[in-house]
Amino acid sequence: MNARIPILKLGDTLIVSIQWELDDQTALQFQEDLLAKMHETATRGVVIDLTSIDLIDSFIAKVLGDVISMTGLMGAKVVITGIQPAVAITLIELGIRLGNVLTALDLENGLDKLRKELEV
Amino acid sequence: MNKQMVKGINQNVDEIIGRWQLSMREEQDERFFQFMPSDLVDKTSRVFAELMTSNIAESDVVNREKLNEFTERVVRFGWSIKFVNKAIDNFSDIVFQILEAKEIITNDNLRAYLDIYTNWIPPLRESIIEAYSTEYERTIDLQKIALQELSASLIPVFDKISVMPLVGTIDTERAKLIMENLLEGVVKQQAEVVLLDITGVPVVDTMVAHHIIQAADAVRLIGAKCMLVGIRPEIAQTIVTLGIHLHEFTTTSTLQRGMQEALMLTNRKIVEVDKE
Repeated sequence: MNARIPILKLGDTLIVSIQWELDDQTALQFQEDLLAKMHETATRGVVIDLTSIDLIDSFIAKVLGDVISMTGLMGAKVVITGIQPAVAITLIELGIRLGNVLTALDLENGLDKLRKELEV
Repeated sequence: MNKQMVKGINQNVDEIIGRWQLSMREEQDERFFQFMPSDLVDKTSRVFAELMTSNIAESDVVNREKLNEFTERVVRFGWSIKFVNKAIDNFSDIVFQILEAKEIITNDNLRAYLDIYTNWIPPLRESIIEAYSTEYERTIDLQKIALQELSASLIPVFDKISVMPLVGTIDTERAKLIMENLLEGVVKQQAEVVLLDITGVPVVDTMVAHHIIQAADAVRLIGAKCMLVGIRPEIAQTIVTLGIHLHEFTTTSTLQRGMQEALMLTNRKIVEVDKE
């Protein structure tokens, strides 16, 4: 499957819900799409929701980390929401700490956190 | 031959039991024969002798039913496995000595006796060992379950704040369990702050610290904050001496202070109310 991941705009925030396991190609495509969309819409915050993802490999984790750094460069904050316990354990065991990333339990909390972060 | 033997044993049963008891009393580490009332010892010995005799095979085939009965009843005596083994050994030795003295076993039928012996003693022993080991394994399993139930539960204390008290040594297996329970619990309880209370953890070495740091990282990934509370003075000393860096998460000495911080993080505080 090589479908693109939909990126939704809500005010000055972009919301991305990843619904299926990413393959490498899709992940890179997503990176480009997201940055392009951000450029287009002058976004200040991005929420990436991973609730339906049960598996993240090291490459996808790296891409996610990269995307977060890139969006940071473009002046936006990113919150990742809904990481499943199993996924968190895998990431930690792989040594991927995603140290500089904001996280939240679900989309609602994520949007809250983002708003607070943008106010500061 | 088998019948002769059984008959021989039955005729001399008192002597056998007497000598057998004598030899068992010499076992230093068994309290049964030293402290129990003698009539009880006598009765038990008789039952044991009866069970032993009844297991002398009537044919070449081992009688499963009688074997099971033997095992079941002997296990109920509550002897240690070593003692039961010794009892079986001594019993067969004494039977042999007595039957030889009575000339029921002679040089001519020694081979036949050996056959009977092979069908008699080893199955008993195997069956006993199997029964005991099954029993032990069951006990260990039960204890393991009990330990798991005790080991790591996440308790919701306030809205958005949960506490996981850790008691006892943390090994790799337990750390895994802790991490799983912690993460599942956070998601289920929608906790924003979790307090890991290590008051009951006797030693914090590099491995334990590593596990705790991993758990805290994982909690951060799923979108909550992990605090380490209950750090005793000696634990603080070990942590610094070992060069473990816990800078990345909040630590406090008591659960109480940790709770205050957690409330602060979720924009709440506890206030006293005036009595009217």
